[in-house]
Amino acid sequence: MSAVITVQTLTKQYRYARRRTGALGAITGAFAPDFQTIEAVAGVSFEIAAGERVAIIGPNGAGKSTTLKMLSGVLEPSSGQARVFGLVPWRERRALAYRIGVVFGQRSQLWGELPARDSFALLRRIYDQDETAFAARLGRLVEQFGLGELLDQPVSRMSLGQRMRCEITASLLHGPDLLFLDEPTIGLDITAKAAIRDFITEHARGQGQTVVLTSHDTRDIELVCDRVIVINQGRIVVDQPTDQLRRQFLARKRVTLQSAAPRITLDLPGLTVLPSQPHTSVLDVDTRLVRVEQVIAAALAGGGIEDITIEDPPMEEVVREIYLATTGA
Amino acid sequence: MASALQALRMGALGALAGWPVLVGRAIFYLVALAVLSALWGKVASERLAGALPLPAGGLALYVGATEWIMLSIPSIHLRLEDDIRSGALETHLLRPKLYLVLRIAESLGDMLVRLATLGLAALGLLALSGRSAPAEGLACLAASAILGGVIGLLLYTLVGLSGFWVRRTLPAYLVIQKLMFLLGGLFAPVSLYTSAAFRRLSEASPFAAQLYWPSVQLIAPSAAVFARALALQAAWIAVLSLAAAAIWRAGVRKLLRQGI
Repeated sequence: MSAVITVQTLTKQYRYARRRTGALGAITGAFAPDFQTIEAVAGVSFEIAAGERVAIIGPNGAGKSTTLKMLSGVLEPSSGQARVFGLVPWRERRALAYRIGVVFGQRSQLWGELPARDSFALLRRIYDQDETAFAARLGRLVEQFGLGELLDQPVSRMSLGQRMRCEITASLLHGPDLLFLDEPTIGLDITAKAAIRDFITEHARGQGQTVVLTSHDTRDIELVCDRVIVINQGRIVVDQPTDQLRRQFLARKRVTLQSAAPRITLDLPGLTVLPSQPHTSVLDVDTRLVRVEQVIAAALAGGGIEDITIEDPPMEEVVREIYLATTGA
Repeated sequence: MASALQALRMGALGALAGWPVLVGRAIFYLVALAVLSALWGKVASERLAGALPLPAGGLALYVGATEWIMLSIPSIHLRLEDDIRSGALETHLLRPKLYLVLRIAESLGDMLVRLATLGLAALGLLALSGRSAPAEGLACLAASAILGGVIGLLLYTLVGLSGFWVRRTLPAYLVIQKLMFLLGGLFAPVSLYTSAAFRRLSEASPFAAQLYWPSVQLIAPSAAVFARALALQAAWIAVLSLAAAAIWRAGVRKLLRQGI
């Protein structure tokens, strides 16, 4: 597949005046500032193909939002190159705007006092959309996202989840080929998060849309993205498919046994029993020391097993492992 | 153009949606008119008698007009400051149409609703008070007040754009406010200044084009004064628009290099 985004040794350095303490420090700092340079992004390179759904993750200050800003065109890099649909984002921002949709989770693009329908009408004009095609697209999005009753409600009276559904709809109304989502589920409850993840995944699959997402919620990454780029201290430390990432960085499985007996005890290496309710045993299995089928066989041999669940460990643990491995902490 | 018109409509709808604020603003305006009218009626008209050819109650009408314009101008500088400081501007920059034009158009829609509401309130008060205003003066005032409002909006836009460099726009706002008071003739016509040089400076300033020139139509209506007002206002709208565009470009260039 052709590359939608091409990034080569992109760097961004910020220069800022360090504040000195005390009144004298404030005065001398005003006349002779002590400038410092920090490297937010330090030579990252990657490509993203059409239709890929990629998560860019990392701890706070890692450089992921800075990367996203450079790719969308609102920040110039200090050096390096990037092209999105063949355009240099920070030089051809307006041309690129027609092809990308952007959602910044904590910033609204809707007018608070007015119904979402009015904001959508303005966005139609901003993106020079034909009225018929626009109405058809809006109709589809309203149906898919269950926005029917919300359209005529002032945005300021919506819940955060409802508003975020409208924000995502607003970013899709001009039919972008690429969607940048910066923390799209931040602050939402479980139901709202699930609705948004399902919608993004289904919509992107259906339209063949490319998605680049940043999030601190590992479920966003697991459920929406098929590739993960981990950035730490401005550098890419991992870039691989989500499944592979999980296997490589955490050689563990989680086995949950429902049993007639209050507890199941297995004498095998590499097993850690996690806290759980009676009649439920949650085992953390180190697959480098013991295979999952050995654990299952041993449990079944003991009798009284009513149900077995085998899961991958939560993505949070995967990410924590990566951070620990890459920072050497 | 279509997007700017739609933004203007959104601004007008937003102002109407916040009707309790609009009503509160109208009440404040009426109270201010009553106070200023009493003040000028009792004190200043006697002291200024002969200094300016004014009709009876002329100063009260003049101040009513300047307050009408001032209270109708939305605080676009606060919106700009908020968008710049919070980073919301980045979202707007990712659109194909110029954010500043849309924001000004939106504020213009808001301003037109305020002008209409406060104007009706003032006419109602005028009828109740038994005072009169020259009909041709009112018509000239209405046309010139809209242009004056646009000038005020552009001045506040410049204040808001200072947020690219100083983050807080309050210092620039206070300076502009005082200049509106001093050079704009907020509480008395600038033609009252005894220094000829200062009077000429004030009359030629954008602040007078915003407040004095529209309001003077009400107390000294004439075709020549109206034509001079429109010419000055058109010139200042052009100059301030160019200044806003230049500052905007410089601000965005800074933001693209240094981030929020």
